[in-house]
Order: sequence, then C-alpha cells, then structure tokens
Amino acid sequence: MQEMFLVIISAVFVNNVVFARFLGICPYLGVSKNLDTAIGMGFAVTFVMTVSTAITYVLQKAVLIPFGIEFMQTVMFILVIASLVQLVEIVLKKVSKSLYSSLGIYLPLITTNCAILGMALIAIQENYDLLTSVVFAFFSAMGFILAIVMFAGIRIRLEEADVPAPFKNVPVGFISAAILSLAFMGFSGLVK
Amino acid sequence: MNEALNILTRGFVRENPVTKMLLGLCPVLAVTTSAVNGLGMGLATTFVLLGSNIVISLTAKAIPDTVRIPSFVLVIATFVTIVDLLIKAYSPELNQALGIFIPLIVVNCMILGRAEAFASRNGIWYSVIDAVGMGLGFTLALLVLSAFREVLGAGTIFNIPLAGEEASTILVFALPPGAFAGLGLIIAGLNALEKKKGSK
Amino acid sequence: MRPIITLTLVGLIAAALLAIVDDLTRDPIALAKAEMKRKAIEEIFPFDIDSLKNVETKKTRFYEAYDRNGTLKGIAVESATTIGYSGKIEILLGVSPEQKIYDYKVVYHLETPGLGDKIDKAKFKEQFRGRALEGTTWKVKKDGGEIDELTAATISSRAVTDAVQRGLQYINEQYPKTEGK
Repeated sequence: MQEMFLVIISAVFVNNVVFARFLGICPYLGVSKNLDTAIGMGFAVTFVMTVSTAITYVLQKAVLIPFGIEFMQTVMFILVIASLVQLVEIVLKKVSKSLYSSLGIYLPLITTNCAILGMALIAIQENYDLLTSVVFAFFSAMGFILAIVMFAGIRIRLEEADVPAPFKNVPVGFISAAILSLAFMGFSGLVK
Repeated sequence: MNEALNILTRGFVRENPVTKMLLGLCPVLAVTTSAVNGLGMGLATTFVLLGSNIVISLTAKAIPDTVRIPSFVLVIATFVTIVDLLIKAYSPELNQALGIFIPLIVVNCMILGRAEAFASRNGIWYSVIDAVGMGLGFTLALLVLSAFREVLGAGTIFNIPLAGEEASTILVFALPPGAFAGLGLIIAGLNALEKKKGSK
Repeated sequence: MRPIITLTLVGLIAAALLAIVDDLTRDPIALAKAEMKRKAIEEIFPFDIDSLKNVETKKTRFYEAYDRNGTLKGIAVESATTIGYSGKIEILLGVSPEQKIYDYKVVYHLETPGLGDKIDKAKFKEQFRGRALEGTTWKVKKDGGEIDELTAATISSRAVTDAVQRGLQYINEQYPKTEGK
C-alpha cells in the first residue's frame, strides 16, 4: 500500500511528466491557451494513457518476451496507441455526440503525444506489475492535467502583461515553464 | 537548383523545426544536458527523418488515404527501431544517456509532419534535401541549446572542462528549469535579431 | 479491401526488415554490453587485468580479476540501494582478495546534477579506499559514522555508503572463497 502511495506521489509531483520528464510538451504548449480546452485534452490523454499502458504491458509480457521479438516493441506499442485513439474516436462518435464534439479535435493529436508512449515504455523499464503500471499511468496523466491547467492559468495572465517584445508569446511561455519546473523541483527528495 | 537550395536552407533558421515551428520539443528539452547528447540525438533524428522521407516519397502514391497516417507511423517506427538497435550495438554510452528518448523519436511530431506535409507530395530528390535541411536545423537547435546548458551548468563543453574542477557553475542550467529557460532565451534572442534585421 | 492489404503489407515488410537488423545487431549488442562492463571493472582496479572470470552464486554474480600470472588480484560485485535522493543508485564495487576496497563506480543514478552526482567523483570516492566491512562505522559523519558527506548532498552520500556496505556484505557472506586460484 505504501509503495503504491509513493508511486502516486512520484507520478504526480516529483517526476511530473511535463516538468521533470519532458514528455507531452507539444500539447502542453499547444492547448494550454484556455482552461476548457486544457481540461478537455487532459481527460482524453488520461483515458488513452491508462488503457494503452495496460494493453502494452500485457502485450510485452504475453507476446514480445515469450516470442523473443522485443525488437518489435516500438512498432507494436505505437500501433496499439494509434488504434486505441481511432477506437475511442469511433466509439465517442456513436455514444455521445456532445462529448465527441468537445474531445474529438484532440484525439488525433494524442497519437503523437510522446507522454503516452513514454509512460508505456517507462512502466516496462521500471519493472512495475500490471496494477502498479495502470496506477502509475493514471496518476501521471493527473500530473499532466495539473501541469497544463496551471500553465493555462498563467498564460491567461500573461496576455495582459507587458512583456518585452522579443519575449512575447513563446519565449515568455518557456520562461514561465522554467519557473514552474523550478517549483516542482522542490518536490524531489519527497519520495525516498 | 535555386529551389533545392531554398528547401535545404530554410530548415536552418527561417523555418527551424525547433525555434520556429516548435516541433519535437520533448527530446530538445530532455537530452540537452550535454553537447554530446544533443548532437547524438540530433543525428539519430536526422537519420530517421531521412529514411522515412525517402520511403514515403517513393510509396505515398500507392498508399490509400484511409491508412496513410498508420502506414507513415509504421515506416517511421521501423527506422527508429533500426537506429535504436544500431546505437545499442555501437554506442552503448549514448544509449545510456538518451534512454527512452530514442524510441520516442517515433512520436517526434517533426518527422510525421515532414512526411505528411512534404515527402508525400514531393519527389525523392526534394524529399532527401528537405530531410537533410530539417534534420540539420533540428540538430543545430539541439547543439546550441545543449552547448549553452553544458557550459553554464557543468562548466564543460563536449566533456572538456573550461574551468577547473572546483569552479562554481550555474547549476540550474543543468536541471530541468534550465532547459525551459535556455530555450526561451534562445528563441527570444532570435526574435530580437530578426527584428533588428527587419527594421534596417 | 485495398487499405487493409496495404497496411498488412507495410507491417510485414517492417517486421521482416527489423528481424534482419535484430539478427545482425544481436551479437554486437551483447559484445558492447560485455565491453562496457569490462571497461567499468578496469576503471575500479588500479592494476592491469589479464583475464576476468564470472563466479555465480545463487543470488549474486562476482567478477574475479586475474593478472598475467593467473593470481587473483581483485573481486568486483554489483550493489544497489534505493535510498538515493531520486531513488535507485547502482554501483560496481571492487575489492582486493583481502576484501579491502579499491574503488567503486556509480553505474546508474538519478541524483541531482552538480550536487548528488559528485558521488562518482574521485574526491569523494577516495575516502573509501582501503576500508573493509569490519573496522569501519558505515555511516556518514552526520549520523555518527566515518564517511565525510558531500556538502548539500547528505542523502546521496548516505545512499552510496549504504550501497558500498551492502556490496561488502555480499562479498563477505556469499563469495565462495577460492583463495589464490
């Protein structure tokens, strides 16, 4: 139980996907322009990340290792993620029109969100068991949501701020990210 | 010929995938703690880009639209795995330093972006030039950022010490915040340069 | 129908190609791994190694280093700890046949660059030389032991001390004594 708690804290704060692992930066900068889209993207990522980590875990243990074809890992994992995204898109379209119209536009972006493939690979690398992997993926996604929501809040303020011309938009975004990441460093050493 | 030169050089600064188009940022920020890592990552990515651009420019017409993206991703993933295996075999130190960011080249949006926007619509000759230009631009950005961070953060360049072992360095540049701040400063610097040029 | 055939075809070609590359690189990768281990072992021993021998026990693998005359000059063992500032630290520890420390090398760590990663610097490592499991209080000075902790990296220093002690224990408890040859 205690171990699980450590995995959770580590996934959300200490090794935050965006600030410590540098995964999922593109959507982090892309969709954090306003709060609603940030949250929408966050939930889409959470779903795909959790499910794909579970599937790739089973795939790794039940297919790739027994058959000695670990070299197919990257190819298989990215196929799983891409198909899962497609599947989610189809199901959403059929089940809930409103959810589809709010989440649909982010779905294609998720395939190339490196946080998803990254989590699947890290879960294998860290030798987690299935349950831990799933918990780890879910809470990493929570960490991702935390990061993009915080950043969206900052960006709204930045738009009003008087920023020196060369720093407008992107550069000041990176500088704010640096300060946020500095704050997140305060969490390191929390899990020992 | 002019057209070819244009395609080659636009990736360097004008349409640099990192500083201008903000693509493939994850490896840019993550592995740039030392110039060697930055260079290694840049070259590995260039190799994958070159391979995928060649294959895709040759086969794009034969691939139906509905499975275009999955096929492209498959092609890219294949080249990534080849690079991964080669690095493991011939440069285990680099493999240790770059870690999971080698397989993650698959999801570098720059590569899929070039496949979609350029290679699938152009011939092999231009696609090769495009891959070399964009790849070098990517490598250049990585190299500048990693050199900047290595000099300030560790006091070395390509692992060669610039000051004595005891010299104090600006540690924060070796840490995650330094990656964000460094890239922000570089882009701001480029913006300022561009403005100066434009106003003349 | 055509999309499915195309995708299957692309997948098959990819798999075939990768199987070939995997086959070609399998030996070089194994070789590179062995080479890296050998390099690490060479680094921690202050003498020229003529040959290496792996000694496996149920739980642990030891590396014996011999000189040109076939005399056992050193034993290396992998050790690890999980109490580092950012979790796991793995080291390779080298001792003399009398089980006195030559040196160690940090093989894996995520400690803070510039602070905690000094655990792999000669200046810190020096103080371990010549120490044995017996006769040393395996704690940092702050905790009442004998190891000088690094400034601003007490946790990392404590962790390495733990890893070194564990390594010595492995050798002391599990290494089958084959004195000389």
